[in-house]
Amino acid sequence: MIVYLFGYMSDDFVGRVLVAPTEQTVGRLAEQLVSWGWNPERRDRYRVMNEAGTVLDPALTIAQAGLSNGDIFTVERG
Amino acid sequence: MALRRDDWLDVARKVDWTYRYIDEREAFPESVSGTPWLPQQAWKDWNEVYRTTYREYVRNQRAKDDAVMGARSALSKVGILEQLDPGWMQLVKFHQGAVALIEYAAVMAEQRMARFGRDSAWRTMAALGALDEIRHTQIPLLMGHDMLPFDGNFDWTHKAYHTNEWVIIAARHLFDDMFLAANAVDLAVQLNFVFETGFTNLQFMAMAAMADGASHHLFEKALASIQTDEARHAQIGHPVLRTLIENGATEHAQYLVDKMWWRCWRLFLALTGSSMDYLVPLSARRRSFKEFMNEWVIEQFTKNLAEFSLARPWFWDLLMEELEYAHHSFQLGLYSYRTTLWFDVAMPDEQERRWLSEKYESWNQIYAPIWDTLERRWQHDGEAGTLGYALPALCNLCQLPTVFVRPGKNTACTRKVGERRYLFCSEPCRWIFDKEVPRFASHKSVVDRIVAGVAPVKLTDLHEWMGLEAPIETGKDLRRGLDKWRLEPVPKV
Repeated sequence: MIVYLFGYMSDDFVGRVLVAPTEQTVGRLAEQLVSWGWNPERRDRYRVMNEAGTVLDPALTIAQAGLSNGDIFTVERG
Repeated sequence: MALRRDDWLDVARKVDWTYRYIDEREAFPESVSGTPWLPQQAWKDWNEVYRTTYREYVRNQRAKDDAVMGARSALSKVGILEQLDPGWMQLVKFHQGAVALIEYAAVMAEQRMARFGRDSAWRTMAALGALDEIRHTQIPLLMGHDMLPFDGNFDWTHKAYHTNEWVIIAARHLFDDMFLAANAVDLAVQLNFVFETGFTNLQFMAMAAMADGASHHLFEKALASIQTDEARHAQIGHPVLRTLIENGATEHAQYLVDKMWWRCWRLFLALTGSSMDYLVPLSARRRSFKEFMNEWVIEQFTKNLAEFSLARPWFWDLLMEELEYAHHSFQLGLYSYRTTLWFDVAMPDEQERRWLSEKYESWNQIYAPIWDTLERRWQHDGEAGTLGYALPALCNLCQLPTVFVRPGKNTACTRKVGERRYLFCSEPCRWIFDKEVPRFASHKSVVDRIVAGVAPVKLTDLHEWMGLEAPIETGKDLRRGLDKWRLEPVPKV
């Protein structure tokens, strides 16, 4: 199943719409967001959080992480 | 002997009578006249300071129109438009597109009050207000028409509100809420008290001062002339608000003020903030947007609230924080998605960056690095490297990109209603939505429409859907223009 999510990169200025299959991993989702952002060259470690601020395991799939249509996730570097 | 003005004025203005054939509630239904529904007795002391007669109105307006038309006639002969700063021209184009037909919508708002306002003096004032707003539509349409030979995109003065362009959808959403879909009481508070008393000084008086600096004297004259009308019919709001409060509706009054204050702030940071601090030529910048806001809006509005013993909106601290950042974040959004606009967007040059750093303490630290990145991308990748390609996430209330407050601190949040999850740029936008879910829930943002397949996902098709003919009409970098590839025809299979 394909879902659309709203991704926020901590050093970026705008939230972006990302479309991804629910079996894709959270880590891959973060890379997807970084690629669309203003600093795609910077390949740091990322910390991915949901709207409630819970840190998500990058190995989990989007579905396992509980993200569904219209959800927010935030990616922090470092 | 002719009667003196004050001997007959109230006979003409105060003509409320007792209905014999229908009930007062039928003549003024609550759904259109407003909540709480109060008998005419409660409104009988409604008054405002201008107390303009129709004869005075016609005389004054004729003199004002003569002044504007005189300036137009005089200035059209000296080629003044050719000498205007290119950034200023974009500002005028932005302003005209976003403002002209909203003035026409305001005619309908004033007419609603002219029929359903609860006191005859209110209805009289609103009838004059409707005539004002016709004038406020005609002047920018005329000016926009005059500017067509210099830039064909000035046809957006008339065209903008007939399109699905995203800035316009945001503005339309606000103004529908503020007055087209509001009863007489609510729109008097929202339009006259908050928008016109609180904010229009910024767009019309502050901008007029800058127009003077930019040597666009016709624009200056027109803005200042329009604001004299606004100042008069804005007075409708005060006695309406006073009557609400005197009759136990303080909570409703406070809600209307808070809600519309936030919504107007969103509009003005987008329209006025980005224009003042990025499109006005440096030599014409009298103050920064933040300074104008503090002096012309915040200070004045705080006094107005105190007059009615209303509290500052609950989101005041967030507002104060956003004053420092929000329109700079929005400017980056405009720049990145400039091909979806009908005007060009500026990347600040060295001198402008110095000015921004002086006016905004943290600008250099937070925003300069992003502009540096964009500058490098121009060098290495050309125009294509400086455009945003992923869809920006849009707020389901204000319809603006969720760019607030600043890089490093985003206040986006969501709310699930039924099966649908809504996105908001901030707590105040979500709060407004929560207060009136049935009013807002069925609206779809541009992103929602794309996801639902109502709007196209392909950028070139999206331009067309937004009413933009690419690349002729689509916005570009103010100083660099288009890369040549944008002017080549799109290859067809």
